[in-house]
Amino acid sequence: MSERRDRIAGALLGLAIGDAAGWPAARHRARLLPPWTRRLHRELDAFAEAEEVTTLPVPFALNQPTAALALGPSDDAEWAAWTLTWLGAGAGPLTRGDVHDHWRTVAAGGTLPRGRVSVATAADALRRDVDPPVTGHDNPHHFDDAAAVRGVAIGLVADGSGTAATLAGWDAEVTNAEDGLRAARAMAATIARLVRGEPLTSAWAAAAAEHVPPDTLLGENLAWALDATAGVTSAAEAVPLLDRPADHVYSYGVAAAQTVATAVALAHVAERNAEPPIAAITAAACLATTADSAPALTGALLGGAHGLSALPTTWVERCRRLAGCCSPDLAGLDLVELAGSIKERTPA
Amino acid sequence: MRDRARGCLLGLAIGDAMGAPAENLTADEIRARWGPVTGFLTDRPSGTDDTEYAAFSALLLLSHGAALTSDDVADAWITHLAGRDSGFSGAGFSELGTIENLRAGLRPPASGRHLHSWSDGLAMRAAVHGVYAAGDPALAARLAAVDGAVSHSGEGVHAGVAVAAAVAVAMTGRASAAEVAAAALDAVPADSWTARSLRSALVHAGDVPALLDAVVVRAYPWTDLAPEAVALAFGAFLAADGEFAAAVTGAVSMGRDADTTAAIAGALAGALGGLGAVPADWQDQIGPVTGRCLGEVVAGLHPLDLADRLAAHLGAAT
Repeated sequence: MSERRDRIAGALLGLAIGDAAGWPAARHRARLLPPWTRRLHRELDAFAEAEEVTTLPVPFALNQPTAALALGPSDDAEWAAWTLTWLGAGAGPLTRGDVHDHWRTVAAGGTLPRGRVSVATAADALRRDVDPPVTGHDNPHHFDDAAAVRGVAIGLVADGSGTAATLAGWDAEVTNAEDGLRAARAMAATIARLVRGEPLTSAWAAAAAEHVPPDTLLGENLAWALDATAGVTSAAEAVPLLDRPADHVYSYGVAAAQTVATAVALAHVAERNAEPPIAAITAAACLATTADSAPALTGALLGGAHGLSALPTTWVERCRRLAGCCSPDLAGLDLVELAGSIKERTPA
Repeated sequence: MRDRARGCLLGLAIGDAMGAPAENLTADEIRARWGPVTGFLTDRPSGTDDTEYAAFSALLLLSHGAALTSDDVADAWITHLAGRDSGFSGAGFSELGTIENLRAGLRPPASGRHLHSWSDGLAMRAAVHGVYAAGDPALAARLAAVDGAVSHSGEGVHAGVAVAAAVAVAMTGRASAAEVAAAALDAVPADSWTARSLRSALVHAGDVPALLDAVVVRAYPWTDLAPEAVALAFGAFLAADGEFAAAVTGAVSMGRDADTTAAIAGALAGALGGLGAVPADWQDQIGPVTGRCLGEVVAGLHPLDLADRLAAHLGAAT
């Protein structure tokens, strides 16, 4: 495998490993079990509350096949793969209209994978003939990182960092706006630079300078997180410091301003201290509020910087195949093979 | 002017108290539980955060007038609210998000940049800016934006500005309900979620299922989105052609963030019709603010007294 191919596979598998490492992965994968198993889960949660016991339920199969609940990737890996799949199915230069048309078609056809609030809201709007960018703007979770996760895939497909930001912007504006859009452009541009061999620090700095203004929540959280973790000597040591972007006021922890800031800071700590990518990924998974996607974004950054060969085989082997918990069409898809099949796309 | 100021703030308090039991319910659930809404839903109606935050913003206007700055507002939040350690009963995400930001040392507009900056928390308190700036929607809009920069950004500010400007026009007593709604739309960027949502209210006012279908985000569980709240409030106000009782009960009966939507509808209709438009038995149900949410800084303030003080600088002309 060439260094470039190794880094492309590293970014995708790093994302999948991080996706698997966070506690929400098992909740997402539990969708593959019958609904009554999840109803019992909710009832056991209420039981613990009512009976004042500290034994909390975990996703469980009871008398059903347990494979779905094995450690493995979930929503973020499936969304990255979905993006790679549709981008890879076409050829020739892409227009903004092509990207929006694709979303419109899959939303109308009901084949969009299960996704975040931003995605579901945009899909509803598309079905009502609302056009992007209004679908991403008039959206309660316009700030979330759904498009930033897809931006990782776009960074792998694009033929350069400028192209990556352009394509990611066209894709992101369907579901997101403001920080959600900025984060998608910055992630895509960074990934495109990383897989071409640029070091993490300069790749991120260049992308952020272009796509993340300082007077935004994303910009402020990034500056704060990088500064707060500047003196630590390991990713694990940085974990308590990164509790702050989690906020703890809101009911969800998928804002790009939280997860991208956390991922970028942990990736920089690992890089500075010459730690392996898995150290930063597992550190990110310790932050419960942002555990759905910060580990995945951390893995994408460090996997892209160091390649598949820098990721532990134990993790790669458990995380390379998709479960299909968001899109049944993706069940069984091998991410290493998918990474090997990526063709470059350019904007028109 | 004083009569319309009184109608506005008492209307806000009535809407808040009438809508509180219906908050987060659906229109169908409300109909099933109470039948058609014709008045208060409980024997002892009680105001919530909407009235208390409106009173707090009114105090800021009384202290600083049109010279109010976002720093003044931030200082007041820090002095009176950020030190409270007993929680903020009834408050929403945007209020606590703001307080956490202020505690962390952020100042406006950074203090208003949090994940709930689109909440209806400014819209629920912005009627007071319209009362103070009666007849001057541009001033009302500016003051609401100054106040809102502490706790909101983007759509949350737009929605508050819309309410303030509309109340300022309603306070003249010379506007139709449609002109009041037009003032709201004029005050916000045309290419904003709030403007699109308000336009839906103009189109669908009077058709509750169509209005709810147009402005409610299905895939989101919380009800305090400012563009939705102002659309439901203006939709109820327009469907009632500005008539007080129908505007408030219409907002309550649609549910969602019913205390806030009914408070806004009540403020608009009360400003338009004055205290005389407010049913006397409803007026009797409103007493001084309890301070249950914000504590002693607002406890004991009566909406009628605040209205008189906010209107004191306005001409005697009605």
